Amino acid sequence: MIEAKDLVRQFTSGDRTIKPVNGVSFELGKGQLASIVGKSGSGKSTLLSLLGALDKPTSGDVVVDGVSLAGLPDGKLTEYRRRDIGFVFQQFNLIPNLSAVDNVMLPMEFAGVRTSARAQRARELLEQVQLDPEKQTRRTNRLSGGEQQRVAIARALANEPKLILADEPTGNLDEQTGGHIIELLSSLSRDHNTTILVVTHDRGLARKADRRFRLQQGQLVEEAAAARN
Amino acid sequence: MSVLARSVGNAFRNKIRTAAVVAVLAVAIGLALSMLVANQAVGAKVQELNASVGTTLTVNPAGGQGFEGGGEPLTAAEAATAAAVPNVTSVVGTKALRLRTETATTDTANAAAGTAQPGAGGPGGQAGGVTTSLTAAIDAGTLGNRNNNTGSTNGTGTGTGNGTEPVRTFTLPITATGTAAEVDSSGKALDITSGTGLGDYSAASTKALVGTTLAGKNKLATGSTFTVAGKTFTVAGIFDAGTTFGNNAVYLTLAEAQALAETPGELSSMVVTVNSMENVDSTKTALQAALGSSKADVTQGQRNLETAVSSLNSVKGISLVAFIAALATAGLIILLIMVMLVRERRREIGVLKAIGARNRTIGLQFVLEALVLVALGSVVGAAIASFASGGIASALISSSSSSGAGAVDQRGPGGGFGGGFGGQGGPFGGATQLLTSVTASASPGVIAAGITAVFGVAIIGALVPALLTARIRPIEVLRGE
Ligand SMILES: Nc1ncnc2c1ncn2[C@@H]1O[C@H](COP(=O)(O)OP(=O)(O)O)[C@@H](O)[C@H]1O
Ligand SMILES: [Mg+2]
Repeated sequence: MIEAKDLVRQFTSGDRTIKPVNGVSFELGKGQLASIVGKSGSGKSTLLSLLGALDKPTSGDVVVDGVSLAGLPDGKLTEYRRRDIGFVFQQFNLIPNLSAVDNVMLPMEFAGVRTSARAQRARELLEQVQLDPEKQTRRTNRLSGGEQQRVAIARALANEPKLILADEPTGNLDEQTGGHIIELLSSLSRDHNTTILVVTHDRGLARKADRRFRLQQGQLVEEAAAARN
Repeated sequence: MSVLARSVGNAFRNKIRTAAVVAVLAVAIGLALSMLVANQAVGAKVQELNASVGTTLTVNPAGGQGFEGGGEPLTAAEAATAAAVPNVTSVVGTKALRLRTETATTDTANAAAGTAQPGAGGPGGQAGGVTTSLTAAIDAGTLGNRNNNTGSTNGTGTGTGNGTEPVRTFTLPITATGTAAEVDSSGKALDITSGTGLGDYSAASTKALVGTTLAGKNKLATGSTFTVAGKTFTVAGIFDAGTTFGNNAVYLTLAEAQALAETPGELSSMVVTVNSMENVDSTKTALQAALGSSKADVTQGQRNLETAVSSLNSVKGISLVAFIAALATAGLIILLIMVMLVRERRREIGVLKAIGARNRTIGLQFVLEALVLVALGSVVGAAIASFASGGIASALISSSSSSGAGAVDQRGPGGGFGGGFGGQGGPFGGATQLLTSVTASASPGVIAAGITAVFGVAIIGALVPALLTARIRPIEVLRGE
């Protein structure tokens, strides 16, 4: 479904050059739940941004369902992010002055979905991520961290993406709340057959993952997968 | 939730800042609109002035500055000479008479002397005059009292008065002008408010046109009669000259006036119309040369208007510059505010891009947000302008006229006896009166045009930051994580 081919991303600051991603290759199949662990600053976020076309690799390529991102113009990359990718960030990154429903409707608006269909689907998604109905119209900066992350997951699902990229989705949440979010992602991948790649330090999620990767020295190393229970 | 709704929402995200921005914008927009209103009002006035009397020259007998004063009177021969000068489109000869109200007192001689000597029209006033049954519409007032005293002194001097004479009522003379066309002394068509004109202005006729106030004072209407030098005249029409003095007057046909004055063929002045504004100066020189400076004085009837027009034109220029400056300021305010907002929302723009927003969607959102601010600023600014534009316009005009027109000779057409008939400057009318008559009212059309311009500038001002959003990369979403 998604394939990374010898990805390299190098940053130059002054005369110092670092390569947090230095020759990463792997492939994920449809509906798989994969986890990436690694030390802070090891390049996990950098790798995710290359896979989600937030950033362009110095060399290498990402191929999604047979389409190479390397050859696409910016407009097509925007379309790729809109249609094929759902992002979940550590900082939630919701639009703070919009309601939960409005946030979830945004990707659909960008995709040209009719207004009435948008609202309908947004409410369904918020129900799926178990956000209290009375909080759906509340401005998201008035929601708790766990609630915000639920809204963010609902927003990531809005356009039925092929791949959800989650960068430390529980990093800003307490253990219990984080546990609920992990449960949610895990059940989504199972129920919707959505491919999910999660950067996490959470052992529970790592245990649930079909594929487990570790990023070190710019290289991605696959670890033996635990049986999914 | 649409782009527009989001833009409106964003415009009110920080209410205090929005209020401050709107207030600053409103001042700039209000100033711009006021300047535009002033500019339009002044422009309209300039056009009106130019259209009314812009192209006429007045010819008087040489040395004759006053009423009927000076040297050799002008004749039909001079009128023909003037008509032959290039660029002259018409020559209208006039013969002015001063009418004196018949009094019932036996002291006629004294009254006549008293009336004639002060010469309100200037030096060299003609003694005597023609009697009429009409009473002047202008109260002598203080001028009358002053003249009355002079009259008494004169009376004593001529030995006809006596010390015990009761207070005489002094009346100002009425101007009767014989004219060869239906125009006033500045060449402007007479505004006949009721009745008709005199028909054939070249022939002697007992028909007359009477000014509104004079008609009112004497209870005259079309068809009424009055006498001049014992001869009965019929009111053919009532005209409105627009000024008090101008309306205290009678128009007769030229031939009739010449007959009454017993000076056939003589003209007291000629109004020469030139074909265009540009040719006025050269024609004036040519006309003076053709008539000879010993014979006639050619004056530019609108000299005072020229000063007024040039001072109005400078006001027009100043207001235009101020309009553009205020407009540019509004644009700059929008530009800076939006640049600031774009920088502040870098990360949020990154989020929008990460979830698939197109560059143009984001750009449009920021332009619309800017327009919401401008719309609010325009509403408040238009309110400011509708209150302030009148004051701003008159402040501009008075400061300009005190340094310009106000400082120079203020002669007005129809402003007193003198001004109207080419005499020395009268104290009435003049540039100031013209200037203060500029009414700068904020018309909806001008305000709408101004707001359109404001929006145009705002779009340009907002476009720069909107284009900046296109350069923000989606990776900005990870900044600070
Ligand atoms: N835009 C950038 N410019 C320079 N260095 C960067 C940039 N983005 C990330 N880095 C560096 O790349 C390395 C990997 O960062 P990141 O991918 O965020 O690590 P992780 O997500 O694993 O903590 C870090 O050393 C970071 O400082
Ligand atoms: Mg990271």
